[in-house]
Parts: sequence; structure tokens; C-alpha cells
Amino acid sequence: MKAHWLLTTAVAALSALLVFLVACWQPVPPPAATTAAHSMPSPATSPPGGDFSLQGPQGTVALADFRGKVVLIYFGYTSCPDVCPTSLALLAQALSGLDAAEREQVQGIFVSLDPDRDSPAVLAQYAPFFHPAIVGLRGTPTQIATLAGQYGVSYRKQQANAEGQYTVDHSSETYLVNRHGKLSTRLPHASPASEILAAIRQQLAPRDSR
Amino acid sequence: MRLHPALIALAATLVLPRAALANDSDLQVLAPYVRLAPPGTANTAAFMIVSNTGRSDRKLLKADSPVARRVELHSHVNDQGVMRMRQVTEIVIKAGGQSELKPGGYHVMLLDLRQPLKEGESVPLTLSFDDGFSKQIDAPVRRPQTVMATDPAAQHGSMPH
Repeated sequence: MKAHWLLTTAVAALSALLVFLVACWQPVPPPAATTAAHSMPSPATSPPGGDFSLQGPQGTVALADFRGKVVLIYFGYTSCPDVCPTSLALLAQALSGLDAAEREQVQGIFVSLDPDRDSPAVLAQYAPFFHPAIVGLRGTPTQIATLAGQYGVSYRKQQANAEGQYTVDHSSETYLVNRHGKLSTRLPHASPASEILAAIRQQLAPRDSR
Repeated sequence: MRLHPALIALAATLVLPRAALANDSDLQVLAPYVRLAPPGTANTAAFMIVSNTGRSDRKLLKADSPVARRVELHSHVNDQGVMRMRQVTEIVIKAGGQSELKPGGYHVMLLDLRQPLKEGESVPLTLSFDDGFSKQIDAPVRRPQTVMATDPAAQHGSMPH
């Protein structure tokens, strides 16, 4: 009698578990659960942008060095297998669409979100691989965190594997800074080169400047 | 460790008919390439179109290559602008359809390259599918496109002035 009761309970418990699993179990945690990262500003809020100075291939490079030029900034990391090369190739395509006179007034900046691995030497080779008008910059983790906050960049280092390799999740917008150093446009991830080019030309147009 | 002959026979009956159904010629790999990694970097990705002319869905489960220490199937999730790259266990190729592995989407990730790849070099890849079938391909290494693809005349015409 007791054995029978136990069996019934066991069957009921297992059935309940099965129903729960079918209804609720998700092999991959929902994105919302994994997004709860450290103090990241939401990419939806409007970031102020602004000046910074970081380590370039030959000493300090400041955004202010490029006043009078239209500057495009992309944040990524050189071990990035797909997203960064894809974005930088699109930026390079847009830059290649400019004529020589226009190109002189445009500067590309790649800011590393992975200062532990991206040395200035690595960045010096990496950025111009896509286009000679793109410079790769590095900062201390604190400088990068501050700058990321300034521009509304979200990033998070992922857990390293057994070999110590890791990837970095990051937002993939291209920030367009006008001739006066003000953040004017945020181009979404995978913006076609023609749209990037149009956005650059819009800023180059001699309306309010000069 | 001894396997009962009946068990082996059972395993064989489970595997063989599926392998016989899924034909080699049903799966085609089109335009494969490996993106040239920027100097000083050891990770890159392979892209291709896999088409399935068969009558049942197929799944790409694994890719291997001697050029990298680790090869994984990956996808991106665009989570409110944050690109989250995640390993996937399978890439489905629908019956009569095709799946595109392309920049920013599904890709075969080549991690920790044993040596730098050169433009034009051919990279051997082995693709393993759910029915035990595997396909060998050679993917040329291509420099990422950094020049505008569109016709310059059309491009200029579409620009507001």
C-alpha cells in the first residue's frame, strides 16, 4: 500500500517536472538575463560624445587634433573574428568612395575595447589594413570605460576558454563627429557603405562651418 | 568492453538508411571563402552558401580545418545594438533551400590560426552534417572588400548635392 502511494507520488512529481521542462526550459538563457552587465549606459540613451586623448602608434592622439575634420569612430577589438572586420570594411568602403580633396578632411579612429591584448603595435598594423585613414588607439581600461560611457558604447568581456582566449560582446555603431568635435550621428551596425558615405558628405557640406 | 553483435546490428540499421537517404549530391557549397585576417591577429571566419536540393532538412553540425586550433560554428545576436557572438550547435539547411554564412551572420569561426594566412591561399575545410555525411571543400583566402562595390556613376547619381 505504502509502495503504491510512493509510486503514485513519484509519477506525479516526474510528470510535473516534465510539464515544467516542456513549458519553461530554455537551453540558452534569454538575452535579458545575460545583458545585466556592469554599469553600462543603455545604447538607447543619447550620449554626449566629446573629447578624449589616447595612445596612438606614435604617441598621444587626441580627438581635438582633428578639429576641422569629420571624424568616424568605431569601438572594437583586434581579435574580433567577424563584427569588427565587417564594420571596418564598410567604413573603409565609404572612405574609398570619397575623392582626394574630401578624404583629406576625414579621419577614421578605431578604439580598442580590449586594452589587455591590443598593444599600440598591434593596433598600428590593424587599423590601416582596412584603410590608411583609420588610426588605431589604445587607452587604459579606466580611460576606455570612461570613453565608452561618453559615447554610449556597451561592451563586456566574455569568459575565457581553457587557452585563455576570450571574445568581447560590444555595440557596433559608428560615431560620426563633426568638424567642431561634436558627436552628430550614430550609424547603426551594418550600415551600408553608401549610407556612411552620405553621412560623411552631409557633414562635409559647407553649410554652417568655415 | 564488448559489444553484443545484436547491438551493432541495431546501430547499423539506425544509421545506414538515413545515410543512404541523404545523398552527397543534395548538398552544395557555393562561393566559399575565408576572410584574410588583419596582420597581427589570429582569428578570422569562413563564409559560404550551403544549398540543399534534397527532400529533407539537413543540419551542419561541425566544421574542421587544419589551419586553426579551434573551429566553431557561430552566429550573432543583435541585442539592442550589442553584437553578441555565440557558438551554435547546428545550422539548418532546409530541404530545397539554402543557408548563407555571411559577415555579421552565421559563420565558421577559425580561432587561433596556426600561422598567418595569405591572400589567395586555399584553406581546407571539412563540414560535417547531421546524418554522418561530411564534405571537404577548399576556401580561398580573400581580402575584405574595402572599396565601394557599386557602379561609381550610379553612386554619384544617388548622392544628394
